[in-house]
Amino acid sequence: TCCFLAGGAWACRLLGWARPERWLASGSVFPLSCIHTSTSLQKSGKWEKKNWVVYPPQLPGEPRRPAEIYHCRREIKYSKDKMWYLAKLIKGMSIDQALAQLEFSDKKGAKVIKEVLLEAQEMAVRNHNVEFKSNLHIAESLTGRGRYVKRIRYHGKGMFGIMKIVRCHYFVKLVEGPPPPPEPPTTGFDQAKEYVQQLRSRTLVNTL
Amino acid sequence: ALVLVFSPLPRLRGLLQRCWGRLERGLLPGFSGGQSPPWGPALAVQAPAFLPEPVRDTTESKEVPSLLDSILWMAAPKKRRTIEVNRCRRRNPNKLIKVKRNIDVCPECGNLKQKHVLCGYCYAKVKAETRLIRMEMHKKEGGPFNAPTVETVVLYDGEKPTEKDEGKRIIERARKRPSWFVQN
Repeated sequence: TCCFLAGGAWACRLLGWARPERWLASGSVFPLSCIHTSTSLQKSGKWEKKNWVVYPPQLPGEPRRPAEIYHCRREIKYSKDKMWYLAKLIKGMSIDQALAQLEFSDKKGAKVIKEVLLEAQEMAVRNHNVEFKSNLHIAESLTGRGRYVKRIRYHGKGMFGIMKIVRCHYFVKLVEGPPPPPEPPTTGFDQAKEYVQQLRSRTLVNTL
Repeated sequence: ALVLVFSPLPRLRGLLQRCWGRLERGLLPGFSGGQSPPWGPALAVQAPAFLPEPVRDTTESKEVPSLLDSILWMAAPKKRRTIEVNRCRRRNPNKLIKVKRNIDVCPECGNLKQKHVLCGYCYAKVKAETRLIRMEMHKKEGGPFNAPTVETVVLYDGEKPTEKDEGKRIIERARKRPSWFVQN
């Protein structure tokens, strides 16, 4: 008896060029379709596609939906863990404050993120019908892992180590409007109240 | 893979049989008799190379542990640090970047500046102008070690040297006087 890997992965590995999921019509369901298939160098990410979402026109009574701008930069030569600290710094700030903090930060990623924010601000004003470029705040800022490459690092005495050339992606979502007020940190009393509430809301399962 | 052809020569066969017999009994083929092999323990153990003597002189002081001993008891992690523990350490507030509260607006150019630091834009502006003035000075001097012993005055378009600038070296710059460069 020969052991089979998951059907799709097996196909991917042996016949890299043949993609059985492409042969089926778009309506039919492929049993193991939850696999990464695109190995091309320029795969269009999902974050860029979020800008193409079109909402139906709003009814006259509804409150105005704030504009959302998604922007990202791929394959930045920096570590995702180090970039995360900068992303955490500017989460929830207004765009002016974020640019000020990044300008005087000593990190390498600060320059990159500043460029990304300026680009996103420009895009917002030009394409996304944002009236005031300062009226934006950062709703989400994330980092992701880029493609890693392994290289040899030469040590003394003929020893070597394998090092990883590390790259990251940076994603940012700007939303029109002033930044939301920071929520106050939960005190011990609030936590105790929540715990008591949890205990009180327990019921007996599978009974009348 | 190598394929050995066994040649049925009687002498070779006899020798091989004797060697095999010796190996089975645990002796080197090169040994002539029943002698104990010279090699030590075959297994590498985490222990000192020499066996510690059970009876020692009480007057003899304890020997300084050799380098070989101290190498074998080095600190090493006992368990893998879980991602939860790693996250607690990496996301601790003392590791996060602090928000800077000493950023102001430069009154001259309107760019951002830190309170205790010169404005970057204004400094770059002054630096560029200084570089051009120094180039003029180099052209006037013509070579190294020709700096004059008198003071220097920089004059822009349409400015004449006053009676105060009698003996001083005059550097001409072919542009309007910048607003930040105040004339004495």
